[in-house]
Amino acid sequence: MSNSTHNMSEKLVLYLDGVLPENEKAELEKQLATDTVLQEELDNLKLAKEAVRNYGLKQEVSGIHQQMMTEMQTPLRQIGSSRRIIRYTMSVAAGLLVIFAGITAYNYFTISGEKVFKENFRLYELATVRDYTWVPTIEKAYKEEDFRMVTALADTSSNPKYIFLSSVAYLQLNDPVEAIKGFQKILSMDKETGSASFKEESEYYLGLACILDKQYDKALQILQPIKDNPDHLYHEKVTGKLIRKVNRLR
Amino acid sequence: MEVIKNLSDKELISRLQSGSQINETVKDIYRNHFESLSWYVINNNGSRQDAEDVFQEVVVSFIDLVQKDKFRGESSIRTFLFSLNRHIWLNELKRRGRALAREEKYEKGQDRTEMDVSHFMTGREAKEQVMNLVGQLGETCRKILVMFYYNNSSMKDILESLNYENEQVVRNKKYKCLKQLEQIIAANPALKQTLKNLLHE
Repeated sequence: MSNSTHNMSEKLVLYLDGVLPENEKAELEKQLATDTVLQEELDNLKLAKEAVRNYGLKQEVSGIHQQMMTEMQTPLRQIGSSRRIIRYTMSVAAGLLVIFAGITAYNYFTISGEKVFKENFRLYELATVRDYTWVPTIEKAYKEEDFRMVTALADTSSNPKYIFLSSVAYLQLNDPVEAIKGFQKILSMDKETGSASFKEESEYYLGLACILDKQYDKALQILQPIKDNPDHLYHEKVTGKLIRKVNRLR
Repeated sequence: MEVIKNLSDKELISRLQSGSQINETVKDIYRNHFESLSWYVINNNGSRQDAEDVFQEVVVSFIDLVQKDKFRGESSIRTFLFSLNRHIWLNELKRRGRALAREEKYEKGQDRTEMDVSHFMTGREAKEQVMNLVGQLGETCRKILVMFYYNNSSMKDILESLNYENEQVVRNKKYKCLKQLEQIIAANPALKQTLKNLLHE
C-alpha cells in the first residue's frame, strides 16, 4: 500500500469515527463525492464497523443469557388440556424418570475419557470465504476431511492456523499425543510473539485432547479457567457438566 | 435482596436506545418474556434448547432494531417480541424442512395482535456469517474493535485494559484491525451484499 493510499485510509477511519478535523472533513467529503473507489472503501469500513457492533451485541446478550438461564431454572411448562391428560402425562413421566434414572446410572458407571471427549468434540469449522479464488491446499484438504493429508501438509509449517488445523485433524484421527504437541506449540508461539492467533481455540481443543489422552488433571487446569472466563471464546462450551465429568474421571 | 422492577415499554426502549444499564434491561426482557415466548417454540415442535436459542436471537434483533430506530412503539413490546419469536422459529423450522403449517398450535385465549416483521429479518446463516467474519480476527483485534465500536470505550480505557504502551499504539492497532476487516469485505462481494442486507436492513 502506498503512503498516500495509507494516509487516505487513515483519514477515512477518522472520518468514520467522527474525529476528523472540520477542514479536512469538508475536503474529504468533496473527494468522496467524485471518487467511487474511495466511496466504496468508506462503505466497506462502515460495514466492518457495523459487523463489529453486531458481534459485540450478540456476545453481550449471550453472556446475559447464560446468567438468566441459571436464574430461571424452572422447567418450561408444556400445555395440557385436561386432568386426564395430565395424569396420563404424569404416569408417562414417571416411567420416563425410571428410564432416565437407569440411563443416568448407566452413564455414571460407564463414563470414560473417550466417551466424554466424543460428547464434546466438534470438528472446528473453517470460515468459508466464497469469493476467494485461491484456497490453500491444506484448508482445501481440511474441508474435504482428508485429515491425513492435513497433518502431512502442516508437518513443517510454522503458521499457527495450519498447526491448529493439523492438531484438530490429529484429534479426528484419534491421536491425542500429536494433537497436544501441536496445540502446545501454538500456545508457546503466541506467548513468545505476544499475538493471540488461535490461542483460545487451541486452549479449548487442548483441554479436550487431554481428556482423550486421560490427562484429566491437566484437562481441568485448562478447562476450568475457560469456564471461569465469560469472555473466552469457548466459555459456553465448557459447561459445569463437563467439568464434573472430568472430575469424576480423575 | 435485589428489587426487580418491571420497566414500562417506554422506559425500556429509552434505555436500549441510550445503551445505559443494558445488562439490567436485557434481564428485564428475559424475566418478563422468556417463558411465554419459549412456550410457543416448545409447543411447536421445538426443544428447550431451541427455545433458548430463538429467544437469544429475538433479543439481539430487538435491541438492534430499537437502536437503529426501527421500532418506535407502534405495537407493545410484548406483541413485537412475540412476532419476532414466531418469525424466527418458523424460519428455522422451514430450514429444517418440517411441515409446520398443519401442526402449529396457537395459544388459546390470548389476545395477541401479530405484526408482520418479515421485512426486519434475515436468515440465521447471514447472522452466522457476521459472527464468523469478526470471529476470524485475532483475539486482540476483536477486543479492541468491540471495546471501541460496541462498548464506546475511550482509547485510554482500551490502553489500560489491554496494557499497551500508549494511546498511539492502540490507535494504530485499531486502524489495522478495522482495515483487515475492510479488506476481507472488499475481496468478497457476496459477503458484502449479505452484510448490507443484514446490517443496513
